[in-house]
Amino acid sequence: MTWLTWRQYRLQAALVGGLLAALAALLVATGIPVAAQWHSVLADCAAQGTCGSLPGTVFLGSHAIGFLVIMTIGVPAVLGMLLGAPLVAYEAETSARVFAWTQGVTRRRWLAVKAGWVLLVGAVSAAVVSALVTWWLGPDNALNGDAFSASRFDLMDIVPVGYTVFAVALGIAAGALVRRTVPAIGITLAGFVVVRSVITLWVRPHFMTAVTHVYALTGSWAPPGSAWQLAAGTIAPGGARLTMLDGADVAPNVSASWVPQACQGLGRVLTCMQSAGFRQFVTYQPGSRFWPFQFIEAGFYVALAAALIAVAFAVISRRDA
Amino acid sequence: MNGPDGSGRPEPRLTAVPRENAPGEPAGAGTPGPPGPGTGTPSAGGREHRAIETTRLTKRYGRSAALSDCSISVPRGRICGLVGPNGAGKSTLLRLLTGLARPTGGSALVLGGAPRQDPAFLADIGYLAQDVPLYRRLSAEDHILAGARLNKRWDGASARTRLRELGVPLDRAVGTLSGGQRAQVGLSLALAKRPRLLLLDEPVAALDPLARRHFLSTTTAAMAEAEGGLTIVLSSHQIADLERVCDHLILLAKSQLQLCGDIDDLLADHLVLVGPRKDPAAVERTHTVVHATHTPRQSTLVIKRGSPLIDPAYQSEDISLEELVLAYMGAAAPAAYSRLSTVGEEQ
Repeated sequence: MTWLTWRQYRLQAALVGGLLAALAALLVATGIPVAAQWHSVLADCAAQGTCGSLPGTVFLGSHAIGFLVIMTIGVPAVLGMLLGAPLVAYEAETSARVFAWTQGVTRRRWLAVKAGWVLLVGAVSAAVVSALVTWWLGPDNALNGDAFSASRFDLMDIVPVGYTVFAVALGIAAGALVRRTVPAIGITLAGFVVVRSVITLWVRPHFMTAVTHVYALTGSWAPPGSAWQLAAGTIAPGGARLTMLDGADVAPNVSASWVPQACQGLGRVLTCMQSAGFRQFVTYQPGSRFWPFQFIEAGFYVALAAALIAVAFAVISRRDA
Repeated sequence: MNGPDGSGRPEPRLTAVPRENAPGEPAGAGTPGPPGPGTGTPSAGGREHRAIETTRLTKRYGRSAALSDCSISVPRGRICGLVGPNGAGKSTLLRLLTGLARPTGGSALVLGGAPRQDPAFLADIGYLAQDVPLYRRLSAEDHILAGARLNKRWDGASARTRLRELGVPLDRAVGTLSGGQRAQVGLSLALAKRPRLLLLDEPVAALDPLARRHFLSTTTAAMAEAEGGLTIVLSSHQIADLERVCDHLILLAKSQLQLCGDIDDLLADHLVLVGPRKDPAAVERTHTVVHATHTPRQSTLVIKRGSPLIDPAYQSEDISLEELVLAYMGAAAPAAYSRLSTVGEEQ
């Protein structure tokens, strides 16, 4: 079965291998200067004692490669469509699986070997991309402290592997259910985008209870390190949380419309509001939770993938060929 | 409607195959495998010498039945023809026997056990579907190599030799081969498994007359080589072909079994009556009339042989296989076919 899987997939394997090699060459070639620049910037600022003001004054890397790095967010979906969707569907629509299913191996073994190899190749490919991207983004994350932000977190470390395992499993299950390659590819893409969006927007912020920091209206405070800020605003004296909706502001977190009658027209509006009981707040996931979140999220997607693979097994062993 | 299942059969025709093996393990070469534990259902009635035995086997798709209540029995070591009009359920029956499809009712015993997902069972079944399913982008050689890795018992060398002799390129993607060449690849792969039961679904439909003849001689040669360890079920519309190679017959029409039995027995059991046109009611009182066709002057009846015929107005003749098949198919055919004569030459 391994031989047949290899024989069938060697074109895709060559394609994936080629793309990975190209990406690796590009990122290594551009990443080495970025790392060098980062080291010289650090050395300079340490000598001059200006390291605190580095963010915003230094630009690392290049926009074009930075865009390519952001685009790797699509790698799991592409692998799911390229490797996962045709796995059952192609052989079903060409009825070639009747040949495979009347040889001396059971359908379960047929699926186990094929799915096993393809999931492994998908996971390894995603791990390679993720390792390159994590390394490439390292200096920039250190500079700007945003490794935990939603647009960075999704590209780095172990979650891309989880996404890929899920996307490939989704492709396999979709192919087993609809038995045609093109619809299976479509379902894989749509399903992947929907699940990723729902988890990222509505589930991920609640993996662990967020921390809320309350501080004076006149003060300023930012969560330390690579924290993920979920919300910021003002707490009214009654306890209501107010967040900015438009730009008509008195201060970064204070809208002009919230200013009470008594404080209007005063020169020191914020001091007046502070005395009246207004406070600022920041709700965030601390940067120290980066790895717990990586593991929770990756584990969640791997569990989804396991369920989808179970569906594929149930479908091929129960349905007629 | 079942015919006799063939005890006391006469000698086979073209097949140089010793028929009756010892029950259980056939003496054929290259069949070292099962039945292992659980495969040979030990039960009464000499099940071991049946390659196929089904009981009220039924397959429904939604409300329509592709096969209903089909009870057949095929002894080991036979070449069995499977005939019937399009849509009669021939492919469904074969797919049920391979285990590719599951019955919605009844049961099947194939080589002593139910069709199942088990390497030992799968190794014993060779199957060639009507559309010759193969990996279109892979070559015949790739398939032979794949077969060697997917089967414990595999004779790739003979498949290569056969295809080379036929001039079928081994290194070209099978999707680029002609329909006939693909059918040859499919048959070679099915034979390379050295199966104990070979199920062929209209394998000759894509072949020219010469290739058809070669194909049939290949199957009979495989039978001879297997020395009784091989049973073949072959569906076809070419009754002349079946007559040449088969010694057993299954006839399906309208998703139901019409006939199943040893061909010589079936022929001996039926009779053609030709006589002046009149109501066949008198004959029907004493005999089962399978099919009656009438011209303005004469009536032709295909009947089951029974008590001696009383009416001397009828002339009785032996029946040919084609006449027998057409009579049963005609009896189940739509009205538009009802006036077609099924006996003798078409005028």
